[in-house]
Amino acid sequence: MDTSRDDVGISIRSAFLRKGTQQRFSLFVLTVLSVLLIFLESLETKPLNIIRAFIKDTIFRGSLVASFPSKSFSNMYGFFEKHINLYEEYNQLIVENNELKNNISKSDFLELENSQLRKLIDEQISSPTNLLSARVMLDKQSPYLNSFVINIGSNKDIKNGMTVLSGKHFIGRIVDVNYFSSRVLLVSDLNSKIPIISEPSGSHAILSGHGKSEATLEYLPENHNVQNGDKIYTSGKEGIFNPGIPIGEAKVENDTVTVSLFSNLNQITFVNIDLGKKEQKN
Amino acid sequence: MAFHLKDFKTKFFALLPLLLLFYISLNGSSIINIKFFSVNIHYILVYYWVLRHPSSLGYGFIFLSGIISDVVLGFPLGINALSLLFVAGVAAYVRVVTVRITLINDWISFVPALLFANIVYFISLYLSDYSVDYFYLLKNSAFTLIFYPILWGIFSLIINFSKS
Repeated sequence: MDTSRDDVGISIRSAFLRKGTQQRFSLFVLTVLSVLLIFLESLETKPLNIIRAFIKDTIFRGSLVASFPSKSFSNMYGFFEKHINLYEEYNQLIVENNELKNNISKSDFLELENSQLRKLIDEQISSPTNLLSARVMLDKQSPYLNSFVINIGSNKDIKNGMTVLSGKHFIGRIVDVNYFSSRVLLVSDLNSKIPIISEPSGSHAILSGHGKSEATLEYLPENHNVQNGDKIYTSGKEGIFNPGIPIGEAKVENDTVTVSLFSNLNQITFVNIDLGKKEQKN
Repeated sequence: MAFHLKDFKTKFFALLPLLLLFYISLNGSSIINIKFFSVNIHYILVYYWVLRHPSSLGYGFIFLSGIISDVVLGFPLGINALSLLFVAGVAAYVRVVTVRITLINDWISFVPALLFANIVYFISLYLSDYSVDYFYLLKNSAFTLIFYPILWGIFSLIINFSKS
C-alpha cells in the first residue's frame, strides 16, 4: 500500500504536537540560529550593519534602564566611601600639590626647550584636532572585554578606530559604531595593542592590555633604558592615532615594564573623541 | 482578597526566574567578580531552572537573554546565546535520564554542562578573533561549580516558597 503525501504531513504534524519534540526542535533551531549569528557578525554589509546597530541601540537603552538601581546603589556607596576617605585624601593631595609645584618650573623649561627644538627641525607638531565630547552610557566591564558604551555614534560622525581621550589622556579607541551609541575598547583590554614611545628614554614599544591587571610594554628593544617614572605617549607609528598623546607612567618590576595609566578607567563619566584633523577653510 | 494575594504570589514566583534572567542580561552582571572570586550566575540560573522547573524558562527566552548579554558585554552576537543553549540542552538531557533529582546529582551533572558551554564559548571567541584569558576562564568555571550548591539552595527555597 502506497503512503500518500497527506499521511506523511499528518505524521509530521502529530510528531511536532508532542511537547518534547517541539522543545527539542526549538533548541535545535535556536542553536543553529546562534551559530548563524556568530558567522553573520564577521560579515560587513550595509543592511546587516543597520539591523545590528538598531538591535544594539535598543538593547543599550533597555540596559540603561535596567541598570539604574544598581548604578544608583554603587553611586551612593561611592559617595559614602569618598566621605570616609576624605581626610586621607586631603593629606595625599597636600603632598601631591607640593610635588607639582616643584615640577612646574621644570616642565615650563622643558616645554619651551621642546618647542624651540621642534621649530628647529621644522616639524609640524600641533595638528588642529577636532574633539567631540560624549557621556559614558554603559560601563559593564566584562571579564573578557574591558570596554564601555558612549552615547554618540554614526549620528555624530564617529568611526571605528578613532582615538578616545579622558581629558587629554589616551584611554582607548572606538571599536563598534551604532547610530546612537559606540563602544570604546580600553587600553587595559586583552585585545588592545597600542604603539607607544617612552620619554625621555625614547624607546618604541607596544602597550599591551591584560584585562584586570596593568598594561605592559612589549617588544621593547633589548638594551632599553626605560626607567621608573618615564612617561608613555602614543608614537603614532601605525598612522591611526596622533603622536604624543599622554597615556601613563612606566613602572619597572623584574624586567617587566608596566604602565600605570594617567586616567582611572573606573571613574570616567565623560570622554573626548578625536574626530581627526579639522578641515582648513580658505 | 486572600485568593488574589495567593494568585499574585504564584504568578510572581512563576515569573521570577524569567525576571532574574533578563535582569542579569540587561544589567551585564552575568559574571560576578569579587576580588579573586568569579562566578557565572547566568549558567547556574539557566541550568537549575531548566532542570527543575522547565516551564519557567523557555529556550526562546534563554536565547534572547544570551543575545542581550552579548550586546551589553560587547561580544559578537550569538556567543553567549549559544553557550546558554548548550547549558540548557545538557540540563534537559539530565532531566530526562535521571529519576531522582538531588543536589549531588545536579552538581555532578553540572560539570559536563559547564565544560560544553566553555568549549563553545572558547571556540566562538577564538573564531571571532578575541583574545581569551585562559586562566580566568578556568578560575571562573571552578568557582561557578563551587558556588552552585549555594544558588541551588536559594532557588530550591524559592520553589518551596511558591508551593506553600
